[in-house]
Amino acid sequence: MPSPHLPVQPEAPRSPDPSAGDFITPELRLPAKASELQRAREYADQAAASFGFSEPERFQFAFAVNEAVTNAIRHGTADQAGTIGLRIAAHGDRLTVDVCDCGPFVDRAADEDEPMPDHGRGFDLMAKLMDEREVRAHPEGTTVRLGKRRRGMSDRAEGDGG
Amino acid sequence: MSPFSFICEDSSDDVAVIVADGYIDFDASPALKQNIVRQIDTGSRHLVIDLSAAVFIDSTAIGVLVGALKRVQQSSGSLAVVCTNENIRYIFEIAGLADMIPLHRSRDDALSALARAA
Repeated sequence: MPSPHLPVQPEAPRSPDPSAGDFITPELRLPAKASELQRAREYADQAAASFGFSEPERFQFAFAVNEAVTNAIRHGTADQAGTIGLRIAAHGDRLTVDVCDCGPFVDRAADEDEPMPDHGRGFDLMAKLMDEREVRAHPEGTTVRLGKRRRGMSDRAEGDGG
Repeated sequence: MSPFSFICEDSSDDVAVIVADGYIDFDASPALKQNIVRQIDTGSRHLVIDLSAAVFIDSTAIGVLVGALKRVQQSSGSLAVVCTNENIRYIFEIAGLADMIPLHRSRDDALSALARAA
């Protein structure tokens, strides 16, 4: 099975504007192994740093990417080369990451009736840390898209109590 | 070099301290669970998981800690976590675990809390 084609942005396609700080990272094809998670986190952190996120935001972005990649490794399907795909794009005030694998989406959310579940928190944590979380099923497999918005100076000022 | 490591220390007859170093993720979680289970099976009712040297933790590791809490509670034991990393503490908070799994700023604080609970 060929590698899944990473989807274009959900909005009308537009080229990155380097003068505005836009960029798209080279696709990372990652062996679907737990030992490769550090590479995924470093890839995410480098992009987050280039985007200008604060240190906590960089951690949160890398955390969310780690969760999505972990899910793809645990529950997804690698391609013929045994890899899954990641790509990060910066457009305006938003940094997005697409994590792709070749299998159908498997919902492993925690049991809502279980007060202390041992598993299933990852998906919920992605939603809490990111401004966008979208799962796309397509013929080639599944893409999880996560996006985090850069807070403006006014947002940060409000958060700091002015 | 492995991005994570665990060291187990016996603090007293039924209190064990597990020191976790590095990136405690899906790759590390099985080893964390193994260390926890071994300590419980050899008689430790109270556990301190020291995350002072951890730089990252994910939901699989959090799941292991929740599982450990449930196991020690079955024998009227308790669990405490040492964590000074503000990013990791935030993850515990948004995961809704800050009340369930107490986070302490030092090992001494964690051990004192377990002694009060015993």
